[in-house]
Amino acid sequence: MRDRGLVLALLIPGLLAMLATFILPMAWLLRASFSTSTMVQVGFTLDHYRAALVDPFYWKVALNTLTLGLTVAGVAVVLAYPIALFLARTTSRWRGVLTALAVAPLLTSAVVRTYGWMVILGDRGVINGTLQSLSIIETPLRLSNNSFGATVALVEILMPYAILAMLAGFGRLSVQLEEAAAMLGANPLRVFWRIVLPLSLPGVLTGALLVFVLAISSFVTPRLMGGGRVFVLGTEVFSEATVTLNWSLAAALSVMLLVLFSSVIVIYQRALRRLEA
Amino acid sequence: MTERHVSVENLVKTYPGAAKPSVDDVSFSLPRGEMLALLGPSGCGKTTILRMIAGLVEPTSGSIRLNGREVSGIPVYKRNMGMVFQAYALFPHMTVAENIAFGLEMRGIAKADRAAKVARALDLVKLSGLGDRRITQLSGGQQQRCAIARSLVIEPELLLLDEPLSNLDAKLRDEMRDEIREIQGRTGVTAIFVTHDQDEALSMADRLAVMSAGRLEQIGTPRQIFDRPETEFVASFIGAGNFLNGRVTAAGEAAVDGFGALRFVGDAAVGQDVRLMVRPHRLVMGGAANSFTGTVEHIVYRGQILTMTVRAGETRLQADLHTHAGALPEKGQTVTLGVAPEDVTFIGRAA
Repeated sequence: MRDRGLVLALLIPGLLAMLATFILPMAWLLRASFSTSTMVQVGFTLDHYRAALVDPFYWKVALNTLTLGLTVAGVAVVLAYPIALFLARTTSRWRGVLTALAVAPLLTSAVVRTYGWMVILGDRGVINGTLQSLSIIETPLRLSNNSFGATVALVEILMPYAILAMLAGFGRLSVQLEEAAAMLGANPLRVFWRIVLPLSLPGVLTGALLVFVLAISSFVTPRLMGGGRVFVLGTEVFSEATVTLNWSLAAALSVMLLVLFSSVIVIYQRALRRLEA
Repeated sequence: MTERHVSVENLVKTYPGAAKPSVDDVSFSLPRGEMLALLGPSGCGKTTILRMIAGLVEPTSGSIRLNGREVSGIPVYKRNMGMVFQAYALFPHMTVAENIAFGLEMRGIAKADRAAKVARALDLVKLSGLGDRRITQLSGGQQQRCAIARSLVIEPELLLLDEPLSNLDAKLRDEMRDEIREIQGRTGVTAIFVTHDQDEALSMADRLAVMSAGRLEQIGTPRQIFDRPETEFVASFIGAGNFLNGRVTAAGEAAVDGFGALRFVGDAAVGQDVRLMVRPHRLVMGGAANSFTGTVEHIVYRGQILTMTVRAGETRLQADLHTHAGALPEKGQTVTLGVAPEDVTFIGRAA
């Protein structure tokens, strides 16, 4: 069939690009994780996986990563939901401007924003400085160099993604459905619980997934805000690869992170299908 | 005087920033069990009136009464009115039965009673057996039926329908038109529906309220609106019309260019300049009362009818005649047409 040939021909450039930028590096990563050398890819060994799985430190790191991801996703979704709902429902002519404002933080790099949070949450930062000068506290509160600081910064940095994802997922919401429910005798609270919330759940789930994935793969923010005291898979892969120069262990950890991602995505898709069935 | 079930008095809605009111001093009332059509071109304020009655739009001034009680302060969810939305607004995350049961659930009706009422409502709209379907599995007509069942199962004081047939294809529209009328008759619910389609309004409603630019032009039965339009807008919006200028020479008789004396129905003083209207299909071949002779300027054979433009003096008239297999008028021919005096309507003073 000529059509099929044309389809294949049109697919080739995209497939080649995917092959070069995604599939080959992934294959290389997989190969490196089984290498007997730490730098070059030779032989075959399961040592790196064994090392990662036997060492309680990496279990703790995996648990930290999961906790950080879930916390950040949960908080970001709760904070972003009212904003996204407002943006989706407003008929104001400022809607475009407001949407742009909500996602404007994406225009600055995450590194810059992390430094901003260091200034705000640091021991001599804006909050501690103010509280100390007002003599409300004597010793600075531990707001940064710990997982609290990392969580706060990640929530703020990732919130615009949550807002965007939710807006995209709110397609089934409509003012008319809310009006229909009200006409049938539902007060505003019941309209929210029975109509708005169920119909916005796919968007909420998409937002949560996106933030979760971005949070567990982040390493700059946890590293800077954690002050070297927050260990997550992202920071560990980075330090194994650049400090310890153990590329094979870094590759094994990356593969494990990938497995974590994939299982979350599978669970997410199952849940979404049930929601939209 | 009949009981006023619903009455709207001096209703005004001016949206913030708008120069002119969208609804301008509209008053009408309905007896129990009546079906009223709000008819007018888009933007005439008909939907705004419906939404004000529903409580979805706050009136600027005026009053809306149900059983003599003012409803303005009552929130939407306590008004007990049913509404069928143009796009149906069925809840996509619920089944057909769950959609219909929603209003009953909000009223705290026990589950067993709910099921019985839902079954009866499904039966009323001929959707029995489809209660477990998802909304997306229904056809357009079935969705329409589901929306009607949902708004009737709560036994509303008043049923409101916003362009109920506009989302259906032509064949289904005729079917649903009869069916809505039948369901309304069977349940006896007082109903107001909004439409821009004159056929729909004429065939479904007990009375029509014709609107233009926020104002109520005329309210009356289909026959009153069609045969005795009181304004030029009503006469031209509903059906086609030939508008004639004349001067009243005697009671019920006016001198019109090309006709000579034309007898009409309506009160107009002798010597007054008047505007008269004749429907094209009410003109007949041959001389009756009100006969006149003219030249056929233009003619179109359309199967069932023959549309021709006849010029008499300086007056041009459109005449729609029923066709038959025999000889028909031809272009350039001189024809004599007539019209019964009761088919000549006095619209008002000539401008």
